[in-house]
Amino acid sequence: MLSYDFNPDERVLTCYFTGRLDTILSSQIAAELESKFESLTENTEKAAVLDFSLIFDVKEVNFISSSFIRLCVAGKKRVKDGSFSIRNSDPFIKKTFKIAGLDEILNVI
Amino acid sequence: MAENLMERANDILERAILASAEFQEFNQEQTDKVVEAVYKAALNARISLAKMAVEETGIGIWEDKVWKNVIGTQLVYENIKNEKTVGVISDDPVTGISEIAQPLGPIFAVTPVTNPTSTAIYKILICLKSRNPIIISAHRNAAHCTGEAARICYDAALAAGAPEDCVQMIPAGSRDFTQMVMAHPRVALILATGGTGLVKAAYSSGNPAIGVGPGNVPVFIDESADIPFAISSIIRSKTFDNGTVCASEQSVIVEEKIAMAVKSEFERQYCYFLSPEEIQKVEKIAVGKESMSMSPFIVGQSVEVIAQKAGISVPKGTKILLAELPGVGKDHPLSVEILAPILAFYIAKDYHSAIKLCIDLNYLGGIGHSAGIYANNEKRILEFSQLINAGRIVVNTPTSQGAVGGTFNMLNPSLTLGCGTGGKNITTENITVKHLINIQRVCRRKMNDKFFSVDRSKYLDENCNETDLRLEYHKNH
Repeated sequence: MLSYDFNPDERVLTCYFTGRLDTILSSQIAAELESKFESLTENTEKAAVLDFSLIFDVKEVNFISSSFIRLCVAGKKRVKDGSFSIRNSDPFIKKTFKIAGLDEILNVI
Repeated sequence: MAENLMERANDILERAILASAEFQEFNQEQTDKVVEAVYKAALNARISLAKMAVEETGIGIWEDKVWKNVIGTQLVYENIKNEKTVGVISDDPVTGISEIAQPLGPIFAVTPVTNPTSTAIYKILICLKSRNPIIISAHRNAAHCTGEAARICYDAALAAGAPEDCVQMIPAGSRDFTQMVMAHPRVALILATGGTGLVKAAYSSGNPAIGVGPGNVPVFIDESADIPFAISSIIRSKTFDNGTVCASEQSVIVEEKIAMAVKSEFERQYCYFLSPEEIQKVEKIAVGKESMSMSPFIVGQSVEVIAQKAGISVPKGTKILLAELPGVGKDHPLSVEILAPILAFYIAKDYHSAIKLCIDLNYLGGIGHSAGIYANNEKRILEFSQLINAGRIVVNTPTSQGAVGGTFNMLNPSLTLGCGTGGKNITTENITVKHLINIQRVCRRKMNDKFFSVDRSKYLDENCNETDLRLEYHKNH
């Protein structure tokens, strides 16, 4: 469902998602992501800003819910020193972000 | 001044209302006689009107304008001539519902500079067939030829017994007056074909409107396509009237694996790939830097003229200028709609990337309009079609001619193409007669036995849930 790859030199966290990211799964992922973020940032405040780039890889994802889109928006807002992008989207997922008007803001590739 | 304009607008609408009132009394036979007369006169004038349009606007190719006039007259006529548009148009004894067609009233029609005579004739034909008087507002750079087309149609209509003032023109050039007439409370419908500003004005007028604006047509060539056939078809479409049809191809997208084959086929068929330096030169003359919209000075111009304006030299006989671009959007001006023989070209690393590029291009000013695909793989054709937001996805067909309908497919021939809600339109269809009539439905008493056999007290019983009520409703005694 979710695995990570953190590149400490370039300070990029890549999150690999798989399967069907429905509302229930997205809320579980949100909690899991939060603890991952906490482990990587020295700032101990809750919902602290992230000082690394964040990539959501959705190559193995076949469905995204609106909860996952919110998660992406939240992720983008958290990143301060770095960039946010969603990569390897399939055309249907790309269109979902397009319709939501978020494909450019979230840098969906 | 404003009062004078208002008086003029009132006068035009008063005449139109009187024509509308007289039209109400026409039967189908009288209506069809008028339409046939207009069609004949306009078809006979197809060549002189085409030449006049090119001469006045300096846009396009007269032979292709003739073709457009044929679409606007003969093909439209053949498509609508047997339509019932008067009185009872359908009667279903099973449902007990009869449909009665009623005209709408005065229709305010705006015609574009790119198709000034064909669009005028087409709109006159569909308005008269639906017994609606038409008030035409021509583009200021095409007022003479549009006016002449309207005059020919009006004279023929009058001779066939049509009401006086069933076709009127308003003077071109005054935006205030145009908007005043457009917003006049007695206008029944606006039929606007043109740029974004015009369409927005139509929708802001307070009157019902069918406003059709720009496109940005992506064409995907799949690996399963017949490449030489696809390229020849694209050239046929993009060079048609020097690319002035809003459904003409704006970009070609291919996968890396067939890119070289496609490029060399384009070159073999006399198209020219611009170098990066040449792309910059063409960008400067073709697209406004701030507005990101095409320059009116290159609309409908030939490759030679464009090359000359851009200060580049291309081989003699070049049909299309192709610009290989790395991206879509404001950093890549040639990715927007350009109604001239300039075509953006994209190479994607795989099928999914190619389709995603098509989506980006589709959403760059062309939502709801048209798209094209060349493929011999039904699965991909359907997948592409579901992903693209377009009213028409034309398959293995030149998009200019294909989207307009009536020649390469069975779409209604039309010079106003609905773009759905994405293009702020109410329909994705090709606009034709049926959009210009109000259909009244006479609904005879036909009891719903299921509903009336339900024990009514059950609806008032809090203990009855949906399952109980469903079983009760469908009970077959």
